[in-house]
Amino acid sequence: MKKYWFVYSLYWQEGLSRRASFFMERFRSLVVLLSFYYLWSALLTHRTSFAGYDRSQMITYVLGMNILRSLVFAGKSDEIAWEINRGVLSGYLLKPVNFMAYAFSRDLSEKSINLLSALIEVCVLSKVLGIAIAWPHRWDTWVWFIMAMAGAVVMNFLLSFIVGCWGFWTAESGGPRFCLELLLEFSAGAFFPLSVLSRPLQAFLQKLPSPYLVFFPLNIFLEKLNPTQITYGIMTQFLWILVLAGGTRLVWMRGLNAYAAQGS
Amino acid sequence: MGKYLRIWQRLAVMGFKIQTGHPLSSSGYLLGKFIRIVFFLVFLVAIFKHTQALAGYSLEQVALFFLTFNIVDILAQLFFRGIYGIRALIREGDFDYFLIQPVNVLYRVAFNTVDFLDVVTLIPVFVITWIVFKRIPGGIQPGRFCLYILLCLNGMIIALAIHIAVAALAVLTQELENTIWIYRDVMTLGRFPSDIYSSKLQYVLIFVIPVTVMISFPAKAFLGRLNLLWIFHAVLMASLGLWLSLYFWRYATRKYTSVSS
Repeated sequence: MKKYWFVYSLYWQEGLSRRASFFMERFRSLVVLLSFYYLWSALLTHRTSFAGYDRSQMITYVLGMNILRSLVFAGKSDEIAWEINRGVLSGYLLKPVNFMAYAFSRDLSEKSINLLSALIEVCVLSKVLGIAIAWPHRWDTWVWFIMAMAGAVVMNFLLSFIVGCWGFWTAESGGPRFCLELLLEFSAGAFFPLSVLSRPLQAFLQKLPSPYLVFFPLNIFLEKLNPTQITYGIMTQFLWILVLAGGTRLVWMRGLNAYAAQGS
Repeated sequence: MGKYLRIWQRLAVMGFKIQTGHPLSSSGYLLGKFIRIVFFLVFLVAIFKHTQALAGYSLEQVALFFLTFNIVDILAQLFFRGIYGIRALIREGDFDYFLIQPVNVLYRVAFNTVDFLDVVTLIPVFVITWIVFKRIPGGIQPGRFCLYILLCLNGMIIALAIHIAVAALAVLTQELENTIWIYRDVMTLGRFPSDIYSSKLQYVLIFVIPVTVMISFPAKAFLGRLNLLWIFHAVLMASLGLWLSLYFWRYATRKYTSVSS
């Protein structure tokens, strides 16, 4: 466990050493946040609610999606395909580490930095713009929310890992990855609440793992779900984690059989 | 002129061969670009199921702002994509090589990369924009349509000025490769009508980073919501921006002392 903590610490330092890139990344996130904040503010100017969200809830969703995007979607899993294609993976295979745990540790360090930064941004922005955040009224909401966030982090890591493993079979995984990430972010509710969409589209998306990455945790935070819905959602998340973990193991094992260590 | 066309053709053929050499990756990126546009349009349509207007604009009008953003953004990427890689050109010494070629260096850098995926992406964007034009009350009025095209071209000139300034910064500092991404990100604020933003932000988007001039002005001109004064402002901004950026570029290349070769 200590060695993974060391990996986490190393990547934390590395992440903070490239300050220009880091601030640039945060700036991009801030622009998305600002554009959606003003969009929803404009849409809620002459009305009290939109798609079931009152003004305070909708703005909290926008701020929350900035935080969850930073936590759930941030990571270094996109490097996995490159490491496989260049043979860098051989170095990891020779070390006494579990590559998946190693990849998760470095992902977590990236997520921690981004989460911290997103929290600061949201605090500053809510003060500057005078935003009233819709905080949860019950303490157990926080417990469910943290559980759902943890589930979302694990789910996204497993999905990214599977996509990274495409590198075992092709050197051209960049394009499909770009495409999949867009699909995932849109269907996760990382730009707007999925309740805005038509009912058939919502029903279709609910069958995918993506709504459990952002939309579900944020709806828990906003206390828009009853205990039955929360329990069902958490169980579905757990089921998806099991399915994805099984898929990851299968892809990893088959990938290792196909791995030829080119470029190492 | 013929020489420059031949150079562009040669670079375009090279770019095309690189992209067709990676069919899976290129298809993924292309599909991703389409998905981004389609999803955003789906989002806009979904919003208008719950409301009649956004800042006084109907669905078709808001879609026009979004499509204009795509047209200006994609065209700028198509023609000035090479600027994105200027730092690598300088670091690896290729920029020095360009300097001794009997070709305008800025032209050579800007067109160094031609992305054919952008050409393919533009086709559906143009088709959807045409459909949206026809659905806007009043239809396509030749005067407004011409003004729309001219202001889009004006927006392209501003985009060119920004790209030249970024390139000049890169030549001077051998850093700031991320500066172009700041421009790209701020550009995304143009996806929505500028009227939704606070007055301070609107001021910044008109006078500091003229995203509104590049995107909202053409759309507003087509909708007949732009007065003559703003049209003059747009032309002045583009002319002044281009002149200043070219001056800055000449200054930067004069100060350049070669960092690698």
